[in-house]
Amino acid sequence: MSENAFLTVTDLRAGYGGARVLHGVSLAVGQGEICAILGPNGAGKTTLLRALSGMVRVRGDVRLDGADLSGRSPDTIARQGVAHVPEGRGTFMPLTVEENLRLGAFVRRDRRSLRGLRDLRGRRGGSAVDADLERVHTYFPVLKTRLKQVAGSLSGGEQQMLAIGRALMLRPRLLLLDEPSLGLAPMVTQELFRIVRAVNEEERTTVVVVEQNAHLALSIAQQAHVLESGRIVLSGSAEQIRADEQVAQSYLGYRV
Amino acid sequence: MSGPAEVTEKAARAAAPTRGRSLARVATARRQWIVMAVLLAVACYAPFQLVPFRVFQLTMVLVYAVALLGLNLLVGHAGQISLGHGAFFAVGAYGSAIMIDRWDTPHLATLPVAAAVAFALGLALGLPAMRLRGLYLALVTLAIAIFLVPLLKRFEAVTGGSMGLTLGKPVPPAWTGLAEDQWLYFLALAVTVVAFLLAHGLLRSRVGRALHAVRDNEAAAEVMGVRLSFYKTLAFAWSAMFAGAAGCVYTWVIGFVSPDSFALTLSITLLASIVVGGLGSFSGPLLGGLFMMFVPSISQDVNDAAPGVIFGLLIIAVMYVAPTGLAGLAGRMTRSITKILRKE
Ligand SMILES: Nc1ncnc2c1ncn2[C@@H]1O[C@H](COP(=O)(O)OP(=O)(O)OP(=O)(O)O)[C@@H](O)[C@H]1O
Ligand SMILES: [Mg+2]
Repeated sequence: MSENAFLTVTDLRAGYGGARVLHGVSLAVGQGEICAILGPNGAGKTTLLRALSGMVRVRGDVRLDGADLSGRSPDTIARQGVAHVPEGRGTFMPLTVEENLRLGAFVRRDRRSLRGLRDLRGRRGGSAVDADLERVHTYFPVLKTRLKQVAGSLSGGEQQMLAIGRALMLRPRLLLLDEPSLGLAPMVTQELFRIVRAVNEEERTTVVVVEQNAHLALSIAQQAHVLESGRIVLSGSAEQIRADEQVAQSYLGYRV
Repeated sequence: MSGPAEVTEKAARAAAPTRGRSLARVATARRQWIVMAVLLAVACYAPFQLVPFRVFQLTMVLVYAVALLGLNLLVGHAGQISLGHGAFFAVGAYGSAIMIDRWDTPHLATLPVAAAVAFALGLALGLPAMRLRGLYLALVTLAIAIFLVPLLKRFEAVTGGSMGLTLGKPVPPAWTGLAEDQWLYFLALAVTVVAFLLAHGLLRSRVGRALHAVRDNEAAAEVMGVRLSFYKTLAFAWSAMFAGAAGCVYTWVIGFVSPDSFALTLSITLLASIVVGGLGSFSGPLLGGLFMMFVPSISQDVNDAAPGVIFGLLIIAVMYVAPTGLAGLAGRMTRSITKILRKE
């Protein structure tokens, strides 16, 4: 961690219009690590992810592998390899699963064909994007059987998988997940976290995950931060956070 | 050359997961093209069977269809609203009229210029306007439409003021053997076909994908790296260009432009027609063009005193019966007919 961290955030301030939400957040995440952000409703967790992906104006310093991201536009940040799976998924409902996935590769330089049709005619061989489509299928086999279906007709769990699958199509260096468990059955949530863990291990993708389900989040994360009222009130390794009495009471639902 | 290599390539393609879907796509795409080809054949035949007035009416349907094609890009595919597209139509119409009037420019040569001017204007106005959303954007585009008529009247020296400009119509070349109305019709048809192909190509490109993403979920599109303001402005400029081209052909057909032809009602009618025709659909612009041409005159026949009321009621009726527009209704009807035919 610390000096040679992959993602470093220093004294980050952000808000909406006049209302300041984040009052100086600092954290660092090492390459290939999973970092969990916990905190009560309205703490600013979503705002923190939005600040990292450029969707809200920020003051302070955000660096990804040394490159300054603060004040950059969302598309520039996406081009830097930051994929954000927003709260409530944000799939493109009227488009098919495949179209959704291919859109995930929108800013990639090595995308060759954004449409399947060309490949069928044989004019273009399989592109890197096609290969990645396959890769996403191995993580989420259910998506492969749903390629032609419009995203709006998927179940909640499938939509979340699609949203994460689409983010992977960017070949992200940093994956931002905002409450992936929202509205999902416990079984589905566990499966989802298992996959996130697998992606993290196999692709060495750095992950920042915001989660209400602290148990699960801490089970896959190496380190965690607790955000309250726009400030980080507690940081440490996943074990340390899990062992913390205050956290146990507030987020894990039991006393140590 | 062919032989084993080809065989393995085929096998590889057969194994591709996208195959089934692509085949289905090819089938629908092919059906669409067949329908288009048949339509085109009928369209080429029609002017020889109809009286000049009907040919004129069909020509106007095509003119409107081109404008609606542009509006469909913006509203149907990019999800942005414009209450001011009549202004770009007017820019094309006046652009062409002024060039013909002042410099005796050949009619056909005014088309690329009119389209380019409308595109540039769309870009210039779209740049600030497209930073806005929903109602704010609607208001700005409305302002453009309202602003236009007084502006046209003000610059009398160029625009002819309230009197407008009267121009000669394009003369059919002798080799065609066509009457004037038929020649105009085929010019409009050619422009329509080119416009359709252009819009179709645009939507199938990366730009089309980006527009759909913006329409369906702006925030998600943005974090995936789609530059919202860039693509929205581009869609606005493209749709302005189509409206400008339509306006230019309108000038050829009518041979007269005056500010009152491009009042606010035109913008509103354009928007209503593309919604009625079917937003985001392949045939919506054409159906909308038919609606825009024939429904007002039908309304006039029904009730001479208040054609506006009948027109409005008809819009409500269509939206009630077919919330996805006439294109959606046509699709539903074809499906149920094929179902019935299959059963027998
Ligand atoms: N678009 C917005 N405009 C204005 N204020 C906002 C906006 N989004 C969030 N806020 C405010 O910012 C604060 C932090 O919101 P945020 O969504 O970041 O919290 P959160 O930690 O993600 O909460 P939750 O756990 O409920 O998702 C809240 O007080 C909220 O009202
Ligand atoms: Mg949140």
